[in-house]
Amino acid sequence: MRRTLTALISHIVLVVALIVTVGVLGVVAANVETTRNEKFTGVLEHNVTLRILENDTAKEQGYLKELLDAFNAEYAEYGIKAVDANMDQYTDLEKGGPFGYGPDVLYQANDALMKYVDGKHILPLPVEKLECADQVEDAAWNAYRATVGNDTYTLGVPVNIQQPLLYYRADLLPDNWEEEWDDDKNGVPDMIENWTDLYRFSQSIRASSGGTKYGYMKSLNDGYFASGYFLSYGGYVFGNGGRDTTDVGFSKGDGYKGAKIIRQLASVMNLECTEDTITRNSYSRMAQGTYFATMTTPDVYTMFVKEMVNAGYTQEYALENIKTVDVPRLPVSGDLEDESEGFKDMTVMGGVNGYAISSYTKAPNAALAFVNFATSYKMIGRRAALLGISPARKDVATELGGLNETINENLAGGTIYVMPSVRALAQVWTPLQTFCAKIADDVLTGKNMLVTDDALKSGLMNVDKQIYDAIHTLGGS
Amino acid sequence: MNVATKSKNFFKSIPDRIKKLPKKFAAKFAGAKEIITQGNGRVSASMIVMGLGQLLYRQWAKGFMFLFIQAAFIVYAVLTGASDLFGFFTLGTSESDAWYGVKGDNSVVMLIMGILAILIIILYVVMYIANIKDVYRTQCAIDTLKTPIGFKKEVGALLDKSFHKTALALPVIGVCVFSILPIVFMILIAFTNYGGDVVPPALVDWVGLANFGKILSLGQFAPTFFKIFGWNMLWAVLATAINYFAGLGLALLLNKKCVKGKAIWRAFPILAYAIPGFITLLGFKFMFSYGGPINYYIQQAGGEAVGFLGLDAKWTARLIGLGVNAWISIPSTMLLATGILSNINTDLYEAARVDGASAWKQFVKITLPYVLFATTPVLISQFIGNFNNFGIFYFLRGGLYADGYFLASDTDLLINWLYNMSIDNNYYSIGAAISLVIFVITSAISLAVYVLSPSYKQEETFR
Repeated sequence: MRRTLTALISHIVLVVALIVTVGVLGVVAANVETTRNEKFTGVLEHNVTLRILENDTAKEQGYLKELLDAFNAEYAEYGIKAVDANMDQYTDLEKGGPFGYGPDVLYQANDALMKYVDGKHILPLPVEKLECADQVEDAAWNAYRATVGNDTYTLGVPVNIQQPLLYYRADLLPDNWEEEWDDDKNGVPDMIENWTDLYRFSQSIRASSGGTKYGYMKSLNDGYFASGYFLSYGGYVFGNGGRDTTDVGFSKGDGYKGAKIIRQLASVMNLECTEDTITRNSYSRMAQGTYFATMTTPDVYTMFVKEMVNAGYTQEYALENIKTVDVPRLPVSGDLEDESEGFKDMTVMGGVNGYAISSYTKAPNAALAFVNFATSYKMIGRRAALLGISPARKDVATELGGLNETINENLAGGTIYVMPSVRALAQVWTPLQTFCAKIADDVLTGKNMLVTDDALKSGLMNVDKQIYDAIHTLGGS
Repeated sequence: MNVATKSKNFFKSIPDRIKKLPKKFAAKFAGAKEIITQGNGRVSASMIVMGLGQLLYRQWAKGFMFLFIQAAFIVYAVLTGASDLFGFFTLGTSESDAWYGVKGDNSVVMLIMGILAILIIILYVVMYIANIKDVYRTQCAIDTLKTPIGFKKEVGALLDKSFHKTALALPVIGVCVFSILPIVFMILIAFTNYGGDVVPPALVDWVGLANFGKILSLGQFAPTFFKIFGWNMLWAVLATAINYFAGLGLALLLNKKCVKGKAIWRAFPILAYAIPGFITLLGFKFMFSYGGPINYYIQQAGGEAVGFLGLDAKWTARLIGLGVNAWISIPSTMLLATGILSNINTDLYEAARVDGASAWKQFVKITLPYVLFATTPVLISQFIGNFNNFGIFYFLRGGLYADGYFLASDTDLLINWLYNMSIDNNYYSIGAAISLVIFVITSAISLAVYVLSPSYKQEETFR
């Protein structure tokens, strides 16, 4: 018995000793300091293929093909070839990148790209070497700056600026608008210049049509668009320039005035504004003349034109009468029926789309060359012409003029609140949209629970709390 | 015997079963004791080096096979196994830095590799025991002047007497790798701080029962949990019952001889079944929205628009959810019941009719017991499916938080709440902890229902 027991124990001891020894050695080896290599040496990698992730519109409109062809021709002598990454435009680099599946260069919105900074999934870029460095507004660069440790890095290159615009049907303006709806006689209808007149005009349309037609219509529960009303009166998403998620601030300043504006706007709409029905059908309803105006992003202009053509109008007529303008100004008083204190520019939630380079690319220098090429004056100009974007490059925006210039000015002037580049932004929308829907529902169903300033303030404070809880309750240690 | 008596007997038998455990345990290890006390030098040799005893008995093939297994295990342990096992406990010690190409530890991969290492070690232990048992069997055979079973004969048995082992070997390995490993991984995640900001390349740590403590201790959680759990149970019972009996009713109706064009009538529900669920759900959401056709006709008739799925539509939305779920699920039950009904012996009905049984009596005494007997496992799976039915309220009424609920709406089920808190927020560890709670609840209910059902108790009844 002793012999077998000794043999059994010997085997167990040997196996355990082997595993412990090798295991400990493995842990020690893992902690040996590894050399840190700078990636942007300035020397182009030869004979490499770059996978480029672009958005669907760029692919559909043929811009990506044009860009890739032009770049490949320029860098053919180095054997550098850029190809379509053939991935979903919202591909999450964090999930595939570390395992070698992500693209080398990504084009996404700033909030999507900057969430990769936490895991260092995108590279800090030597942006001063890029041709566009001096041509892009500092506010746009700011969307791509992040502090890691004690240093601040720039991790993306702005390409276009996004902000909501007001869309309206010029042919639905009253015939006498120059006499009745142009108080300042500047040749621009008042209802597209300020929300007070748009509100009044909406009331008159509803009254004269017996409730079958509307002036301004928008799904008020859409947090992205509705947030502008709170931001305009001193509210904010997160403190410290959008980076401090412990400080949620929709109720800060006079944010409740934004809630009052939403309440008043809801009164000239119908219950569809509490859900996403209007977002879905605004193209067709504008084409039918049921709505006079709505607010949405610049990239859907063609949808309005298409619906007007479907409704029996000619293409020329549609192009002539579907107008886009900067969002109207808001009354300082926070009351659409009181313009005694004058008007102020509306601050809207916006974003800056741009390029970033994956930390997992095998050819960082070639990828940087691609980004430099894609953000050159020529290519950004071409992108704007083909895709109708508002370029972040001032020189191209100035050349194009009109709204492009205005949007650049808005960004510089601070009336575009760039979406915070933090992961926690995802927790903002549900509480915000629930509250906005609640305000609209309160007016339209006659509950009238959210009438007083205090009720609106308390509601907004609850929104802030819900957002804070969603981010920190489970995440906190 | 009714359900209450069955349950009582089941729970009554538990102490007896526990009492018998030590005896069962001792019986299991009697063989091991015998080998240790009776094993000779060659058995000891196999205990030190696998296969050595067999080689000393000149059983070359078996000896070298066991030796190879030991060598392979040592190579695996040296190359990766030992580090993987250590990694399982440390979950990494050096963080990677993709900016400078510094390769560090990936905690999640280490956890998976650690589980794999444990599975391989268990497999090695099983092979080690088999090696000792084998050499001891040889010793016994020689001691009793019998011829030991040779390698060829043992391999032959794997294709004959022990064919079940051969047939099951690959599936068991597959189940271990593709089923057990992910389940164990998910369970273990509940004991880490994986999620939120702690996602690779950040290093994950073990936190013990902290996630469960967090669920229990957070003031906001308890009221929401119980409200959602209560609704979830009601939903699962109602949805399962509606789908089951409506499906059965439809099948019985279409089974009637007087129904003409059965194929066409059966095709309609199948169409509803064939359309992807989320498309149906989005369609219903539109139909019940303020701008949808139902409200359009209500307004055309002079009525006020109704917020069927609106902010205050708690019960209306819940009833719509049950209806939509029935629309999607009844066809599958109908198909199942149609197949089962065609197998019922018609003589039973003939006999019942002779005895003067009414149609209802025939249904209650013949059809229902037969169908219930055949479909109890399906009923349980439908109950679990409904309990964890994520899509219905996510598509019908997502993006809404109700007053008095913590990060949830009044129609959300536990699975939706879990999604809001974990996937939406990346809190994987909390999500895993809540999953475990849901798993315990659903498995307890399913097991109890199954054990007490005729399908389990009277397995032979309809054979």
